[in-house]
Amino acid sequence: MLQLLVAGLTVGSGYALVALGIHIILRATRIVNFAQGEFVIVGGLFALTFVQLFHANAWLALAGATVLGFLLGIVYERLILRPAARFGEISLTIATIGTVFVLLYGHALVPGWGSLPQPLPAFTGEASDALNIGGVSIQYQSIWVLALLLAALAAMYLFFERTYYGKAIRAAANNPLGARLVGIDITTARAISVGIAIGLAAFGGAIIGPITLVGGAGGVAISIKGFVGAIVGGLESPVGCVVGGLLVGVLEKLLQGQFSYGVADPLIYSLLLVGLAVRPQGIFGAKSAVRD
Amino acid sequence: MIARLRADARALPILAAIVVLFGLTAARNATYAQAGTYAAIYAIAAIGLSLLLGNVKQISIGQAGFFGIGAYSVAYLTTALNWPFWPAALVGVIAATVVGFGVGFIALRFRGHYLAMATLSFGLIVVGLFHESSLFGGASGISSIPYARLGSLSLSGYAAYWFAWGIALLAALLTLNLLRGRSGRAFETIRNDELAADVIGVPTRRYTIFAFAYAGALAGLSGTIYAAFLGLIVPEAVGVPLSIDFLLMVVLGGQGGVSGALIGAALIGFLDISGHAYENWREVAYGVLVILVVIAAPGGVIGLVRRKPRSVRNETARTPATPAPAIIAPTGDAPLTARDITKRFGGLTAVDAVNFTLERGSLTSLIGPNGAGKTTLFNAICGVGKLTAGSVSIAGRNVTGWQPHRIAALGVGRTFQNARLFDDMTVLENVVAGLIRSDKTSPIADLFAFPGLRRSEREANDRARATLARLGLESIAEMYARDLPFGERRRVELARAIAADPWLLLVDEPAAGLNASERAQLHDDLLALRARGMTLLLIEHDMKLVMAISDRVMVLKFGVMIADGDPATVRNDPAVVSAYLGTAG
Repeated sequence: MLQLLVAGLTVGSGYALVALGIHIILRATRIVNFAQGEFVIVGGLFALTFVQLFHANAWLALAGATVLGFLLGIVYERLILRPAARFGEISLTIATIGTVFVLLYGHALVPGWGSLPQPLPAFTGEASDALNIGGVSIQYQSIWVLALLLAALAAMYLFFERTYYGKAIRAAANNPLGARLVGIDITTARAISVGIAIGLAAFGGAIIGPITLVGGAGGVAISIKGFVGAIVGGLESPVGCVVGGLLVGVLEKLLQGQFSYGVADPLIYSLLLVGLAVRPQGIFGAKSAVRD
Repeated sequence: MIARLRADARALPILAAIVVLFGLTAARNATYAQAGTYAAIYAIAAIGLSLLLGNVKQISIGQAGFFGIGAYSVAYLTTALNWPFWPAALVGVIAATVVGFGVGFIALRFRGHYLAMATLSFGLIVVGLFHESSLFGGASGISSIPYARLGSLSLSGYAAYWFAWGIALLAALLTLNLLRGRSGRAFETIRNDELAADVIGVPTRRYTIFAFAYAGALAGLSGTIYAAFLGLIVPEAVGVPLSIDFLLMVVLGGQGGVSGALIGAALIGFLDISGHAYENWREVAYGVLVILVVIAAPGGVIGLVRRKPRSVRNETARTPATPAPAIIAPTGDAPLTARDITKRFGGLTAVDAVNFTLERGSLTSLIGPNGAGKTTLFNAICGVGKLTAGSVSIAGRNVTGWQPHRIAALGVGRTFQNARLFDDMTVLENVVAGLIRSDKTSPIADLFAFPGLRRSEREANDRARATLARLGLESIAEMYARDLPFGERRRVELARAIAADPWLLLVDEPAAGLNASERAQLHDDLLALRARGMTLLLIEHDMKLVMAISDRVMVLKFGVMIADGDPATVRNDPAVVSAYLGTAG
């Protein structure tokens, strides 16, 4: 049971980062990025490339993947999201789905990446090394994942709540017109928001990679589970997104333990429909005071 | 809208000719015949999605789910129970339609990207179920599905090409019928402005559900033919990639109508075959293509060849002025009674326990400073949004909680503060849309173009033209609403609201943005409507107009009714003077 809980929190960390990224992009640009999970896959592969370049310095690989993810996000916003935004929400949704195709099938074409999942070395020791506490074995990498998730969340909190730039970006997301009037460059703020969100996804891919392998076709499932987490916790609440993502991870492992792998996923997707229908603002979201 | 469909109808024979020519010339090449068959099978599902996406503006990334339901029905019934193809296919289509109704019902709760996620998870759930179900063969699916038979003819190979295209073109024709009928007009109003559509009497929820069921039925039909043609169905074949392929076809070919869907399906059908050796590159190219189309050519292939319809102002147009029919209002109870209407948004009370009763044939003005809750009160009366407390009675019927279109159908018209016209429709089409509530034809009648439709459509057109003529708007009947100056937009909206001869009319700030002569015209129009026997409730800031035409004036301030009486009394009420007109000095 405890074993499943830890395993759930580990994969849930990835979903939490995806959910948080979806939240940040939604706040900044009013769109849901369907490609968020693909960027997790690409981030893991970035880390793999860095590991191959620097011969297994996992920390350098993590930093490199995150920075590359951030830059990729800026490019993504500039080349795809911004031009498509002129034609409304459905066009944007379709453009992000097009991006899913490009990344899903495109990463397999990159030399060294391929279409099959590959192992990524653990941050310390071997990926299978585990800590034994009273019969429960916990992979060291799981501990790293949770610690790094917390570190990333703390960094996000400090950036958005304590720094001038973070506050400016939040202002631009909350009230674009007002922000523009007080001199905030909202175009740049949007690009940076998307960059941060994609950077988080890449970071997530790099930290869970040693456990889940990197590459492969799992991006769509990661996107949806991240979105389920965001819906369950509350799409408008960053804390809700993180908690929701972790919950989905735990639920996935519990269901997989209880039933077969094939049943767990449809059950989680059903949760999305139920959640959207019953409590669209999520567990942590306040009931909106805007006009209906 | 009609112009777009006319172009669509013109393209259809050309596409059919290409299908026939290709069929005759490609007969000897099995690969081409096979690619052509797949194109036809995809086209059937793509037509449904095109209607959903382009005509009703509802996204679905779960069409492969319906396709799977159709395919697995045929697979299971023909192999396990030895049914022939036709009844099995019928069951498959019905099952997909029923599930489509369900998904449509769920879809009412979602918008935009939420709907995209919800339909995506629907598709994933369906695949998951097929994958887990031992009845349907689990991961290895169902094989040895027999070919469909027509008499002694087995519909395989070359015969399948003609069979599949026959069905696809038939589906295209029926869909075109549907779009040219009342259903198409209803869809178009929903696509343009769902709220305005509902308020003028279009049952938007019913039509949205119907569109999902129809798209589901076509995707299911497509799946039945696929299963019988391929002889094998596995869960992976009906997964998310297929849903996205359908989306790709529709976006690429051009959404809305049928021609774009046929072109898109044919393109993908052939690219699938010719790009077979470069699988990953092909999919990447699809992704890039769809992004480019969305950014650079949102109309798709068909949008590139279709000319944008132009607005025509016809100064010489004359419709013989027919006298306006008398208004038939229910007798007995008061036209409108508001009891303790209260509406809160979070902590803000926009309307606070408002009570009033309107007298038949009277013109009452509702005034008050900005943010007083006037429009919110209108919304409450029309059924837009839920009331926090209180009730609304119209002609003695308690309509609290009714949907807007049902309230409209009682004989209630309404205009909006910002003139919400259907911008992609002509003035005439806008006014005809205002008559939808008095038209009783069903979507099924549209689908098969029943004989009575032409006549009922001509009648609706004549009636709309007569309404335009009475307001002196016949010269702009063929103009697109998006090209109208603001003053004309207001008058067209009024024409749309009164086209069905409502006996209760709510008009929201009709004079805002009008010049002096337009205001004088409005003054006369409103008095003429009252003279016909309409009961009017007017929100207005133009005090000169209000004092000149009102029988009664009600004043709202911060959601509370602070004065109610004849114009002279209200004008001199100290509370009104200080609250609304401002204190002197």
